[in-house]
Amino acid sequence: MSDNNKKWFTLNLNSSRHKQTSNSCGCGKNSGGCNSHNEKKEMSDEEFYEAAVDASIGEERNKDGFQQVFDVKMDRRSAFKKLTASLLIGAGAVSSCTSVISSDETKEKAQINWEEQFKGNYKLMNDDEKKATVDRLVRSYQLRTGKNISMSSKNAEDDVLFGYAFNISKCQGYMDCVSACVEENNQDRNSQMEYIRIHEMKDGKGFNFNEADDNYYHEVPAEGHFYMGTQCFHCDNPPCVDVCPVQATWREDDGLVVIDYDWCVGCRYCMAACPYDGRRFNWSKPQVPEEEVNKNQHYLGNRMRKKGVMEKCTFCVQRSRAGKNPACVEACPTGARIFGNLLDPKSTIRWVLENKKVFRLKEDLGTEPKFWYFMD
Amino acid sequence: MNNYLYYRIVSFSLLLSLVFTSCKHDKEHEYHSITDKIEAESKKYKGISTTSHLYIDGLNLIEVTENEITFLIPTRKDKIKSYKCTECHTKPLAKMQSDDIKKAHWNLKLNHANANTMNCTTCHNGNNMDELISITGHKIDFDKSFNQCSQCHQKQYNDWAGGAHGKRIESWATPRASMTCVNCHNPHSPHFETKWPERFNSKKVEIRK
Repeated sequence: MSDNNKKWFTLNLNSSRHKQTSNSCGCGKNSGGCNSHNEKKEMSDEEFYEAAVDASIGEERNKDGFQQVFDVKMDRRSAFKKLTASLLIGAGAVSSCTSVISSDETKEKAQINWEEQFKGNYKLMNDDEKKATVDRLVRSYQLRTGKNISMSSKNAEDDVLFGYAFNISKCQGYMDCVSACVEENNQDRNSQMEYIRIHEMKDGKGFNFNEADDNYYHEVPAEGHFYMGTQCFHCDNPPCVDVCPVQATWREDDGLVVIDYDWCVGCRYCMAACPYDGRRFNWSKPQVPEEEVNKNQHYLGNRMRKKGVMEKCTFCVQRSRAGKNPACVEACPTGARIFGNLLDPKSTIRWVLENKKVFRLKEDLGTEPKFWYFMD
Repeated sequence: MNNYLYYRIVSFSLLLSLVFTSCKHDKEHEYHSITDKIEAESKKYKGISTTSHLYIDGLNLIEVTENEITFLIPTRKDKIKSYKCTECHTKPLAKMQSDDIKKAHWNLKLNHANANTMNCTTCHNGNNMDELISITGHKIDFDKSFNQCSQCHQKQYNDWAGGAHGKRIESWATPRASMTCVNCHNPHSPHFETKWPERFNSKKVEIRK
């Protein structure tokens, strides 16, 4: 395990990828007692003291957290104690997948569940590990529902920084964007979660969110009102990322602020830290009818979430990294939404920033949102 | 005395190292603002591998250069139901306008500016129905009908050429393909109708009660 430098433990039930190293004994341990090495004699007191000190602090400085837990050298008595305890705990979990009578499919499910349970943070994974977890999730979905999905783990490209501009004189409040977003991103239909809010504001009152209505239902555009949308602004200096206690959310190199739904512990600090109401929480297990599930997914984007994790707009990472416009941009019938690469001097978003009078919400906070508003 | 010198050297070097290490130069806070970052990092921009080809290659597009910006727009002629118009309009318009001839386009109503400013022949060439005509009598191709609109709507035209007005087709990447005026606006009635919002969130109402 320490040889191939994996960040998590593999149960390894079906495959024989990991060969026993020659210096370890049949029980898989490098030290301690399983009585299969008879040539080693009992230690003297001094030797034992040396070994104990070595076992407690010796190698910890060059081991990471995981190895500290699983690679500890210990004496025979505590080894047996721990082994018995962990065997009892593991017995239940393992019995289903090692049992002769259970099917291969059950074993595979258990294997996937185990590996998913003990995988690392996506942010720290290398490309192979990213691909492995994505493959597991795809296979797991196939085993559970019998349907195939495609999931990407495409990384940020160099020289790309995504930016967004919103034309408040064009938006008519049709909410096509909201609808397209819900469908694209597999948002929970039960709680009617929506990443985008369209605020109906009175003319002449400026951006007055206290008097604005973001859940109107009448013919639009209404007389004497204007409309503006908010969503995650993908700040370049995101306060939500700073407060996350487990680093389950971070800013990617192309500027997208993303969440590892499997690493999130659901503390909602980020929700409180966001000054723009950009984040949403799953109070219950998200429900999406099977026929409405968008099967073109990205690990950091619209893959199925679980209960008790945060989610938010990702500028449709599954689309934008593939070169497509986010679903809201494509759905907007008025052309109020403009999306593009801020680092390309010839991009349309750059033309907007350079030629229109642009502003951002709460600029004085220093969050540096990459979401600009402008007028005709 | 020697000891004192030693302490001075040590404390001085400590101070020096403190000065150097306290100047954080991590990548996160390299720039003062996002605009500085964009400006600095786009100087070394060499293009990216993501392109729009996958999404626009099958479409009928033509290249135009407006305000020194080159991009693609969809063709128009292949989307007009009964182009060429001269298949019916065999004679000049004036000769076809008589009582005994069958009326065509009877359902078309012009709801664009007002009768003082516009009638059919402000845009359509009565002598050659296959093309449009400018205010000063120059021919305008149906595929480049934006030239017709830009005669009055210069501001919108400039914004459109830059990318602030209108929509991109499918992709944000290069090569840029943008919709042209008539892909969103009906030239005979160019304004947008009112309609009901796409969605109403009943849960929001419940929560806010």
